[in-house]
Amino acid sequence: MTDLKTIWQNQPMEDNEMINLSEIRARAESFKTRVRWRNLALYAYSIANIAITAWLISTGQHKPYMRYAAPGLLIVVAHLFVIWQLWWRASVRAMPADLMGRAALDYLRHQLERQRDALSSAWLWYIAPFMPGLIWEFWLRANLHPASVPTWADHALVLYLVMSALFFWTTVGFAFFWGAARLDVRLERLNTLKVE
Amino acid sequence: MGTVSQDELYMHATAEFGPALARLARAYEADPHSRLDLLQDIHFALWRSFSSYAGQCSLRTWVYRVAHNVGISGRVRRRRRGLTSLEELAEIPASDSPEDAVHTAHALATLHGLIRRLKSPDDQVMLLYLEDMDAAAIGEITGLSARAVATRIHRIKQLLSRHFRQGEAS
Repeated sequence: MTDLKTIWQNQPMEDNEMINLSEIRARAESFKTRVRWRNLALYAYSIANIAITAWLISTGQHKPYMRYAAPGLLIVVAHLFVIWQLWWRASVRAMPADLMGRAALDYLRHQLERQRDALSSAWLWYIAPFMPGLIWEFWLRANLHPASVPTWADHALVLYLVMSALFFWTTVGFAFFWGAARLDVRLERLNTLKVE
Repeated sequence: MGTVSQDELYMHATAEFGPALARLARAYEADPHSRLDLLQDIHFALWRSFSSYAGQCSLRTWVYRVAHNVGISGRVRRRRRGLTSLEELAEIPASDSPEDAVHTAHALATLHGLIRRLKSPDDQVMLLYLEDMDAAAIGEITGLSARAVATRIHRIKQLLSRHFRQGEAS
C-alpha cells in the first residue's frame, strides 16, 4: 500500500488551504462576538420576561385573578433559573482548551457524558423549577371562580389547562429521557471500543 | 504559556503539519466551502489548544488529536446517519472499473469516498494509516489499544486491496 500512501500524502494543496495567524485571530474575534450575542439574547429574553410580568402586575391585568401575580412571579423566577443554567452549562463549563488535546475516544466520551448528564438531570434544572408556580396557579384557578364566567366553563378551562400542561411537560420529560438513553447506548459502544 | 509562545507553537505546528491538516479536512468534507470552514475550525481549535499545551505528548500527537477531535465533532453534528463500519464496508462491491483506480485522481477520490463512509474511529485509523503512522502513534491519537489498531489496520489493508488492484496500486 506504499503507493497509496504516497498518493495520499502528495495531494496537491490549494492556496486557500494555508491559513495564517491573522485569519485565526479574526476567527477568535468572531467566536467571541457569537458568544456575546448569545449572552445578549439570553439577557434580552430575561428582561422581556420580567418587564411583561411587572407590567401585568402593575396595571392590574391579572384581574379578576389578581392573586395569580404570585405564581406568575414564581414562573418568571423559574425562567431566570433555566436561563442561568443554560448560560452556566454553555459558558462556564465550556470546553477547556486542553480537552481538545485528549485522545479521540476520551474526548468523545467526555462530550457524550456531558450531554448525557445534562439531559438526564434536565427534570431537575429544566422541568422542576416551573412546577411550583404552575401548580400554584392551577390550584388558584381551580378554587377561584370569577362571577362573570359560568362555573362549568371555568372548570372546563381549568381541566384543559391542566391536561395541556401535563401533555407538554410529559413530552418534554420523555424527550430528555430518550435523548439520555440514546447517549448511554453510544457510551456503551465507546466503552466496548476502549476494551477491545 | 503566554500569547507569544501560543502563536509560535501554532506557527511551528502549521508549518510542519499544515498539509496533513488540509488532507484531513478534505477527507471529511467533499464540499469546498464546508471543507474550508472545517479547516479554519481545526486551525482555530489548534491555536486555542496551545494555550494549555505543556508537552503532555509530542507536538505531532497533540496536533493530530486536536484536528481529529474537531473533525469528528463536526461530523457528528452534520451527519449522524449513513456511516458504516470497516466490516460493513468490506461487503460493498469495489469499483466497477478497478483499472481506473490506479490513476492518481481516481485513487484519491476513492480514498476520500471510503473515509467519508466510515464510522469513527475506523475513519481516523484509516486517515492516520495513510499518513504513514505506526500502530503505536495511531493508538496514542485515537485512544484505541494497540491490538484494536492492529486489527483495524489489517482490515483497512484488505479493504484497500479490494478497491485497488493489488498488483498495480499496492
